Amino acid sequence: MTPEEFAERIKAKFEDVDVKITENKLPHPRKRVWIEVDRERFKELVRFLKEVDPAAQFSIIIAEDRGDRLTAKYHWEMFWEQGESLSVIVGTSCPKDDPVLPTITDIFPSSLPYEREVQEFLGIKYEGIPDPRRLFLPDDFPEGVYPLRLDETGIKPEMVKNAGHPYRRESR
Amino acid sequence: MNLLYATLGLIALYIYVSFASLLWEGIDRKLVARMQRRVGPPLLQPFYDFLKLMSKESIIPKHANKFYELAPVLALAVSIALLAYTPMGFAPLFATKGDVIVFIYLLTLIGFIRVLGAISSGSPYAQIGAQREMIILVSREVPMMLALFTILWRLNNIGVEKPFSLATFYQRNIWELGTPLALIGTFILLVVFLAWLASEIEVGFFDIPEAETEVAEGPMAEYSGRHLALFELSNAIKMFVSASLVVAIFFPWGISAYIGLNGTLALVVDVLFHTLKVFAVLFVSMSIFRAITGRLRITQAVQVFWLRLFPAAIIGSLILAIDLLGVIA
Amino acid sequence: MNGKIEYWVKIPIGPIHPALEEPEKFIITLDGERIINVDVKLGYNLRGLEWIAMRRNWIQVLYLAERICGICSFSHNHTYARAVEEMAGIEVPERAEYIRVIIGELERIHSHLLNLGVVAHTIGYDTVLHLSWLARERVMDILEDIGGNRVNYAGNMIGGVRRDIKDRHKKAILDMIQYYRQEVMPKVEEIFLYDPTVEARLRDSGVIPKRIAIEYSAQGPTARGSGIKKDVRYNEKLGVYPDLGVKPVTPKEFTGVIKGDVFDRMVVRVGEIWNSMEIIERALDQMPEGKIKAFPKDNLILVKLKKAEGEGIGRYEAPRGELIHYVRAEKGKDGPAKWKMREPTFPNLFAVARALVGEQLADVPVAIASIDPCLSCTDRVAVIDANTGKRKILTEVDLLKESIKKTKEINPNIKARPERIGIGRCML
Repeated sequence: MTPEEFAERIKAKFEDVDVKITENKLPHPRKRVWIEVDRERFKELVRFLKEVDPAAQFSIIIAEDRGDRLTAKYHWEMFWEQGESLSVIVGTSCPKDDPVLPTITDIFPSSLPYEREVQEFLGIKYEGIPDPRRLFLPDDFPEGVYPLRLDETGIKPEMVKNAGHPYRRESR
Repeated sequence: MNLLYATLGLIALYIYVSFASLLWEGIDRKLVARMQRRVGPPLLQPFYDFLKLMSKESIIPKHANKFYELAPVLALAVSIALLAYTPMGFAPLFATKGDVIVFIYLLTLIGFIRVLGAISSGSPYAQIGAQREMIILVSREVPMMLALFTILWRLNNIGVEKPFSLATFYQRNIWELGTPLALIGTFILLVVFLAWLASEIEVGFFDIPEAETEVAEGPMAEYSGRHLALFELSNAIKMFVSASLVVAIFFPWGISAYIGLNGTLALVVDVLFHTLKVFAVLFVSMSIFRAITGRLRITQAVQVFWLRLFPAAIIGSLILAIDLLGVIA
Repeated sequence: MNGKIEYWVKIPIGPIHPALEEPEKFIITLDGERIINVDVKLGYNLRGLEWIAMRRNWIQVLYLAERICGICSFSHNHTYARAVEEMAGIEVPERAEYIRVIIGELERIHSHLLNLGVVAHTIGYDTVLHLSWLARERVMDILEDIGGNRVNYAGNMIGGVRRDIKDRHKKAILDMIQYYRQEVMPKVEEIFLYDPTVEARLRDSGVIPKRIAIEYSAQGPTARGSGIKKDVRYNEKLGVYPDLGVKPVTPKEFTGVIKGDVFDRMVVRVGEIWNSMEIIERALDQMPEGKIKAFPKDNLILVKLKKAEGEGIGRYEAPRGELIHYVRAEKGKDGPAKWKMREPTFPNLFAVARALVGEQLADVPVAIASIDPCLSCTDRVAVIDANTGKRKILTEVDLLKESIKKTKEINPNIKARPERIGIGRCML
């Protein structure tokens, strides 16, 4: 399935989503499909991806702090069994005062560690995540601090120690 | 008076065997390093290790019980007692009728004490190592004992002074039978013994209880300092003693009689020659085996014992029995 | 839970364990020697790279990316450079693409040889470890010759490569391939395809069935060992790879069967070394003349990227599997507004943890080693110690102080005041 055909199918099923196709300048140009969807319809779209290609490979969640919203982009590699695969990026977002997204672990079990990672670093709560424990951060890391947030709930300057050169230190 | 000499002899033997077995470990490490195209540690590295460990603080885990500290001492004591029943180029110091039973008993006891010490340490790694050691222990003794008793029974039938004693091997040896059938049977049993030796000193296929990448040295996981040093020494002595058994059974010849020595000097020459033979057996069963194989899974190792070595021991024994009873002759 | 639970033993493998090259923690629940459950805890190697990258510019992040991991250092900055190029629409000269292929495949050879040795070591077969690492020295020498360093060869630049491959290098590489073809690879095949010990230990251990591999998105040799024909170089039509005849290697071509066990993963690695050597030869053959960077000076890149806006994704088949980098640029910002990466070990680790359930304890180290875990890649995200926690976290300064205190306790006569080395010397 070419990216254009795929974009048509998505548009036919989800009329209100934003679909665009980009191309890079490699010797063999490579197209990617970028989809933007509301969090209410996000899970439905993910289910549709699984229907279209049951062997789709989930690969990454890119979560970001964009001011008053937290965004999350998910990447899938589809139709890899047929040679050239299709690279699909689905983005969704949630407001910062209600940071809840639906979990997709019931559709793609491999997304669990990524959701745990995003949960501890960005503070996005995943609804229905089977294993909400921390993955990377130590167990005694303070609650309510999300290291990759850019506002006051992020890392405070006094928490940073020994950054930069290990043997240089500001005078006390 | 005789008892006094025997005791002095045992002490001398203990000092000599400690030295020789640690020296062999150094030689072994150097040889294997050369086979792996490495430089390897200095020849005397095991001595340095031992002395350093003796001077180090010994850390005792909080959950360990008293037996944890007792086990290394017991293990070394048992291995010294074992020396009194070990053929060392001459009949064992305390040779008596049926001493082979004592020999096997003491040899197994060392492994058993290691297991007890490991369980007492309270570490999960040590417990898994101990489980593995027990499994290997009960598997490896069966083919070895079958082979050993067959040989003793066969020698008994050609007439010896004290049947079922280790001194038997220095009066008549198994190659003297000379018939082709007996040679084949003996050769099969030799292979069984070499495999048993490898599992006794836990190298190559059988490096399972102490597998460092799986259970972090297994039974020895929690031991440190003096306690570890005592275990290392008793292990080294056990290695030498086990190899001595193989040498006594299959290669018992001394050289003192050929060059016409007698008295104490003959004993010394015999011990030195015996040491050389032990090194040669260990080179095959330890160094080469260690360099060309990896470790098996515990189930596979048990299969090797019960499905390969045990049938081999039965076949070897049957061949020797057929040779004696003349069924096909 | 049933009454059996009292016989279960929980043993931690890690954070420090002889079978692991880097700190991570597997909590394994055992019933005798059989595994009931595997739980993974990461984060012992967190350096906060994403957080640091927020404070770096585009070119500095390139060097940061290189230092994510020592073994696949080329893969990381290669993928990052691709992501940036896609974002800003930079066209890379063709010769640079070929040089990227050559260095990337050399890196694959050295990484796979390293892993062959590590797996042999975990089954106690140390001779193979020493000999395969000896063979690996040859390709390390070539990489040092090209890049100036054994590990961080710093080959990439946004819009090209930094160093050309000259005739001298070409000759050395062809000699090396000759050496590997005739002396190393026959022995490697003899050991990993036919040796009975290796077969006894690696066959049927740590089996990842194809279904689980797809479900848990296993990557690289781990996926291909389970029969998944997936290779980013091939599926993505990456760079000039399609012209060089790259194909996913599966164990079927060597042994005729696919079981998805450790043995199959090693067979895939052996096959990929062969494949890489062919690719290098073809690349050296077809490499056109021309310039090697799109921008002659580094500051031009910064000027261009400062004006750029958008997002880009770079994907590359690192020796361990698919590597993804994502960058987003904002107008007027010196560095990436967001830089995020995903390493192949991350999904592989969870796939293998799932696959270990029901296996024996003896298979744990070899199964973990067989995915070639690169934990410094995986643990990369956040930073920083917590002050509010119960434990006190010591910094280097504190440790040095404690150490000096202890020395003085043992021997009060010591007068010397140890100085910390490095720039920015300071008083204690």
